[in-house]
Parts: sequence; C-alpha cells; structure tokens
Amino acid sequence: MTDPFNPYLPEVATILETVQETHNIMTFRVRFDDAAKMAAFTFGPGQVGQLSAPGIGESTFVINSPPTRMDYLQFSVMRTGEVTGKLHNLVAGDKIGVRAPLGKPFPVEDMKGKDIVFVGGGIGMAPLRTLFLYMLDNRADFGKIRLLYGARSPQDMAFSSELPEWTSRKDIETTLTIDRDAEGWEHKVGLIPNVLLEMAPSAENCVAITCGPPIMIKFTLEALKKLNFPDEQILTTLEKRMKCGIGICGRCNIGTSYVCVDGPVYTYAQLKALPNEL
Amino acid sequence: MAAKYISREKLPEWLKALAAERRVLVPVEEGGSVVFRAYDPARAPVFGSDATAPPKGAVFPASQELFSYACGKEGEDANPTLKLEAHTEATPTVVFGSKPCGARGFLIFDRVYMGKKYPDPYYIAAREATVFVTMACDRVENTCFCHWVGSGPADAAGSDLLLTPVDGGYLVEAVSDKGAPFLDSPVLADGAGKTAEAEAVKAKAREALGEAPDIADAPKALLGLFDDLEFWRDQSDKCVSCGACTYLCPTCYCFSITDEGAGLAGKRVRSWDACMHFQFTLEASGHNPRPTKAHRLKNRVGHKFSYYPTLHDGLIACCGCGRCVKSCPVSVDIREIVQNAVAKAKA
Amino acid sequence: MSRLEELKTRIREALPGLECVIGWQQGYDALHNTPLFMRSDADVDKLTWGVLNVHNPAVYLPTMAGKKVGVVVKGCDSRSVVELLQEKLIDRDNVVIFAAGCDGVVDLTKVKAKLAAAGVSAGNAEKVATDGKTVSVTAGGQTVAMPLAEVCADKCLRCQFPNAVLADVFVGDPAPQPTPNPTGNADLDALDAMSVDDRMAFWRYHMDRCIRCYACRNACPMCVCRDHCIAQSREPHWLSQEDSVTEKLMFQVVHAMHLAGRCTECGECQRACPMDIPVLALKKHLNRTIHDLFNYQAGVDVAAIPPLLQFKLEEDNIKERGW
Repeated sequence: MTDPFNPYLPEVATILETVQETHNIMTFRVRFDDAAKMAAFTFGPGQVGQLSAPGIGESTFVINSPPTRMDYLQFSVMRTGEVTGKLHNLVAGDKIGVRAPLGKPFPVEDMKGKDIVFVGGGIGMAPLRTLFLYMLDNRADFGKIRLLYGARSPQDMAFSSELPEWTSRKDIETTLTIDRDAEGWEHKVGLIPNVLLEMAPSAENCVAITCGPPIMIKFTLEALKKLNFPDEQILTTLEKRMKCGIGICGRCNIGTSYVCVDGPVYTYAQLKALPNEL
Repeated sequence: MAAKYISREKLPEWLKALAAERRVLVPVEEGGSVVFRAYDPARAPVFGSDATAPPKGAVFPASQELFSYACGKEGEDANPTLKLEAHTEATPTVVFGSKPCGARGFLIFDRVYMGKKYPDPYYIAAREATVFVTMACDRVENTCFCHWVGSGPADAAGSDLLLTPVDGGYLVEAVSDKGAPFLDSPVLADGAGKTAEAEAVKAKAREALGEAPDIADAPKALLGLFDDLEFWRDQSDKCVSCGACTYLCPTCYCFSITDEGAGLAGKRVRSWDACMHFQFTLEASGHNPRPTKAHRLKNRVGHKFSYYPTLHDGLIACCGCGRCVKSCPVSVDIREIVQNAVAKAKA
Repeated sequence: MSRLEELKTRIREALPGLECVIGWQQGYDALHNTPLFMRSDADVDKLTWGVLNVHNPAVYLPTMAGKKVGVVVKGCDSRSVVELLQEKLIDRDNVVIFAAGCDGVVDLTKVKAKLAAAGVSAGNAEKVATDGKTVSVTAGGQTVAMPLAEVCADKCLRCQFPNAVLADVFVGDPAPQPTPNPTGNADLDALDAMSVDDRMAFWRYHMDRCIRCYACRNACPMCVCRDHCIAQSREPHWLSQEDSVTEKLMFQVVHAMHLAGRCTECGECQRACPMDIPVLALKKHLNRTIHDLFNYQAGVDVAAIPPLLQFKLEEDNIKERGW
C-alpha cells in the first residue's frame, strides 16, 4: 500500500513465483511481507505500481492480476532497458519494493451492463488482463465480452497457460491472432486491426479497450472508428517515463494532464483533447 | 504588529543570535558568485544584489536521501532480507536575505508538494522548519520581471519577515504568523519612525520596473502554438539544452530518483532534474516524447505560463527573478518567448 | 562599406542556398549579445560584429548535421570548426564559413567587476560603446570606460589566431597578429604554483557551488556525446546524482580527459558556467601536456589527426621501450 505518510517509501514484498512468458516478458507474483498490509490492500483494475529492486531503481507496471484474486499481485515486465533488464534477474524468494496502487483505474462502474471488446497486442495484454479477469469474476455484470489478443508469433504470446481457458469458455468470445502463419497455429493469422474489422463488433452499447504497441493502437483506433465506435467508448492506457508516480516530479505530463495520476487510462475523446505529445 | 528597525551595525548581532538556535543561510560571495551558505560571522553577507543561485536548496536540496536500503540474508535457510529506512526530519533553518522572488518560488512548490492526495513528507518537513527573512529590493535590474507574474520588489508572499533597506539599516516587518515571534528579539528597535521611508523605497523600486505587458492570454496562446514546431524552433535555436535555467529557477521543482549505492547497501536519492535534458523524458524503448530542444523549451515555457496556471487558479509558475535570462549561457529570454507567443496568437 | 555591412551583404547572397547562417545579435540588454540564426534578410539586418560576440557559434554545427548551414566566426571559433572537420563530426560541404578579423571580445565577468568597482551594477546596463581599444559601458546613468585589454577574455590575451584559420568568405582587412600576453595564462600559472593539497582544496572550494547544470558541457563545441553523456547515464553508472564535490569534480575530470588534444581553448565551458567556476584551467593543463608530448595544437589544420585519435607504434616523445 502506498504509505499515506511517505509516498516514496515502497512496501517490501517477496517474489512468490516468476513466469517466463516470452523471450522478453517475465511475470512476477508478489506478496507484501506485512500480512496486515496485504490483507488491507485494495485497488481497481488498471491501476499501476512502481516496482523496484534495491540498487536498480524503479519502473512502472500495471497490476495485471484482478482485484478479485488477491493471493498475490502480478506484474509482467518486458525487458527493454536498465531497470527491466535487471528485474529479469530476480528469482522466487527475492525481495522487491512495491509502491501501489498509483494512477486511476478503468471506469468499471460505467461499463456495467455493456458489451465489452478487448483488443490487446503483445505486452499490451497486461493492462487488459486485470480488467478482463475482473469481468470474468463478475461475469453477470457485463454483456457480451470479446477478447482479441494478438502477437507477432505464438512464442510472443504472454499468458499462454491461460489461453486454453480463455478460448474454450463459452461465456466469452476469444480470438487469438499472429502476424504471420506458424506451424501448429490453430487460430487466426493477420494484423490485429484487420482481424478486428473482420470480427466487426457492434458499437451499440459497447466499450472497446485497446492496448499495445503505438503503431498497433494507431491502426486499431482507425478500425474502431470505421466500426462507428464513439470516441467516448474507446479506452486505452498510456505509458510515459515516470519517477515519482504521484504527480510531482514533472516528466509524464502531456500539457496539463499527468499520466501518473490522471492516467494511465484515457478515453480516445480525452486523448484527442490533449496536446499532441505522445 | 508594529514594525521594528535594525541598524546595519546591529545586523551581525541578530544573525549571531538566530544562528545560535538554527541553521542560518545567508547570501555570500564565493568565487565571483553569490550563494547561500551557513552564516559565518567572518564572511560578510551580500544583501545588495540578488544571489546568483536562489535559496531553493534550503527546502529542496540539490540531492537528498529518500531512504536507505540494506539487503542481506538471514538464518540457515538464507532467505533474502530487505530493510528500508526513511528519515524525513528537517533542520530548523532561517533563510536570511533572499529577495522576495527567491522566497516566492516556494508558493509554486507548495501547490504541488503539499497536495491533498500525496503530500510530500520531505518537502513539508523542510518547508515548515524554514523561516524566510526576506530583503525587499531597493533597486531593480534589466532582467527583473516580477511585476509580470503578480509579484513585486516588496512581495511578501512566501516570506515570514520582510526587511526593507532604509537609511542606516532596515525596517523589519512580520508578514506571516511564523515570522511574528521573531520581532520579539531584543536586538530589534522600534521601527515606527521608519515606515514611511520604507514605503517610499518599495514604491520607488516598483516604479522602476515600469508597466508589465498584458500576458493574460499566455495560457491559451502557448497551448494554441503546441503544434507550431517552426515557432518553437525559432524560440529554441540558440538554446544549448543545459540545465542552468531550471536549476537556478526558484520555481522549477522537477526531480529525478535514482538508486545510488554499491553492493548490498545504498540509498534512493532524489535529485534536481531538468526538463531541458534529453534524458528527462527518454523512455526505455528509446522513444522520447520530447526529442528536440524545441519540444523541451516548449514544455518549460508551457508549464510555467500555461499548464501550471491552468491547474492552479491562474498562478504563474514563475517568480520573475530573471535568473534564467541572466545566467543562460546564450541569453535565452523567457519574457521574449512569452510575448512572441501572445503576439503570434493575436496575429 | 564597413566590415559588418560587407559581411551582411555576403550572407544575404549566400542565404538562399543555406538552412540558416549563425551569428550574433544584441540580446536582452546593451551588454549582452546572443546567438542569431539568420533565415531571412530581416534577420541579417540584426547581425552584429564586435567585442560582445562572446559565444562560439560552432557549438551548433554538430546538431545541424545533414543541413547546409553558414556560420560566422572569430579566429578562435574557426578553430572549433576546423577541429570538428578534423574529427569528421561535420561535413565540409555542409558548412560555409564567414569571417572577419577579430579585435578581441570581452569577458563579462571582468566587465561586471569593473562596473562594480565603480559602484555601478551591470544589471542596469543601458549602452555599450567601443573603439577597439576601450569599452565604455553606461549603466544606471553613469558611464565607465575600461581598456579592452583589461576586460577582454583571457583567451584574447594569448590569441594566436585573430583571423579565421579556415574561411570561405573573409571580409575586411585581417587583424594584426597580437603579441601574446603572459597574463592570459595566469590561471594555469597560479595552479602550477600550488602544492597538490592546495590545488585539491582550490578545486573543492570552487566545485562546491557547481549546480550540475552541464552548461560547461553543452556550450562546448567538442562535447558531442551530449544526450549520451556518462554524467547522467546509468549504464555505465560512473557518476551518482548525489550533490557532492567529489561527483562534480569527477565530471570535470572526465570532461577534461575527453577533450585532451581536442580542446581549442575557446573558453566556452568557463564562460557558460553560471556559477563562474574556472573550469577551463583543467583543459588547458591537459592541452599543455598534449603539446609537450605530441607537439600538437587542436583545430589549426583540417588534415591533421588529433594525437589521441591515432596510433603510432612508437611515439616520438614517449620512449616507453627505453623505460
């Protein structure tokens, strides 16, 4: 829990388990060492945490486990730079610092009673996973739930141990796609925006949530517009370099909006109103 | 509260008395620059001109430890351990002899660091432990523009005591509850007879600044020019992307956090950072939302004259001290940029 | 036609084929000039030439790679251009060098001190007049005349190249070759005279007020790593971000080492320092060593390879096989 008295001081947590999702994505399951703090911890789907290992520094990741499953907090880390590279060296039993929850969650209450389309690409599945699982755990509250999850190749798909369940459940519709055909692949082949156009979900009473690499988001937004989704019914999450995570240190702002406290969740309508500095 | 008076000759006595109980920072000359240092009776303070570096570090040090960490292994099964220890206490301090602009800078900090959701314990401790005994300006310089941003040469905002130079010494006024008890010092004499003279000094300095241009449209104008990269190229051509303007700015409050240590122990450090540096917004992927100096200067000017005022009741995140103009290696002039933006938006 | 007018004419002629021409104009007050990026004839009208053109415009050239630009230079600035060409950091075909003979530039720190001694604040400067020998500054209604020789930059006192060592357009008569003035090396002489402990104390005293703004680095035409500087990198993590004299001094030493035999002693590092820290002396010391070992001077010959950028099986002045 973010200490109300010292928002910079992380909670010490232990890594229960690590999962090598892909060649460059590793998942960490962690619990706070202070059992009482773990028991009292609450968050909303989409909120993020600052993970840090001593001497390495901090980096921001979404809590991709849902608030309905509190055995541990899960973070998935793609190896891209100094901090993430070093986080990948950690193993079960190692200590890790966590400052969470930070940022604003998805507006879950507003989504109740609506159809939902998730469109995730690569590591962009992480912020969707928390909301997706939250909805599965509260299935009756939502209408039709569709998930379109794509990656470059089968080897680049994170959360692979969960995919059989997601594709076989009858109360949801899961579509997996890869960019180019690969041996043994039984799902779709094609770029995410094209597959989305094929799926052609109705925008009527429906919210689309998309996350992934910038180029994928760009074309997915175009596809959603072709499918007549209003800007207010499209949600995405933004990433920026962050340090403090609490709206002070000054680097994640886009004009007046601080991604660390005002985001990371934005509607497309909100994004369009921001200055052009992504 | 009745104003007091202290003669120039008596000033060291007062400073010594203050320094007996607290850290007292005064502007002193050091290698041609004027910087705030702990009061030393052997070094005469420089009160005549504004210090090269403002007293920002008194409350917001150039670097400070957020907490220390120590890793280890405990017991037979050798489970790793991690101990974190944070100290937020601050040293009681008097900043003596800053100009009003230097003290006013913290008003801009306060809104951000003393927010409701995430109050910053390090800042709050230091801010509360610090008293500002500010020296009103009796003369102004070419780079002064405090009157543009709602301030002035005798601005008491952010200060606790205000000293005004008068013949032979200073009129001493309490301008906050925190400052009031300091008037009880036996070193201070009655100042009733000096009030009129002090008011005249303040008025003269204010008059010397002349009229401020109308920059009420700046927030809108700057936002409107966000995508006009040619405008920002022209404003930033000569900028060399160093951090002199930000580090010397009494209102620039951005920071970095890094872990500094070796082996199993070390500390997490907060240090001044500058939005003019390429690394400030550089993401791990290599993407940089502010890749050129034009983007970065746009953010600096935009933050001070548009985004911050929009978020904070019109308060401009600039105190008009002119250090960014005066100390810039290439004389980038923020006043000119703001005026250019307002003019371009009008055209 | 005056030298300045001729310069303007030649720049106007060349401007259509160039992205811009970099020179100087008057800045926020009479005492402060500022770099000028000329893109139109109206911009060229603002060009100035004289003792207040203290900046070295060569610093901008590496950042404009790929664009054809013009640059107006003093003799010292031209050496930076030459050194950049020597190191292939800029392309000869992409730079047009405009020059005129230089009579020296002021050191604003010295001017401010002179004014202060006369009881006048440089912050109130209203007018500056110069006849090449004397600089007269009017501030706060009072005029203070000062001999240029007393307020010029130290680099001018030791100047060997008042005329550009390389120019495409040179206007007016070349400036006469100055007689080197030994006081131009007073900084180094003073440090040489100190004991090692005193020298360390000197640097600790001065670096204490360093604010780590890196103006010294960013104003340096030869400091081309900039955005990838070890000062702020985490990998390698050579410097911590802690505000300590040791860290600050370490950066200065790294900076000086990287410039050994590359530095033309234009003095921009020291001039740019907002805290007036005398950081040029470190570079001068290393340059002296390079000169003694390799008989080499940076930025005077486009064809020369700086000694630390080449390898010789056996150096002429380093008899390592004889050790």
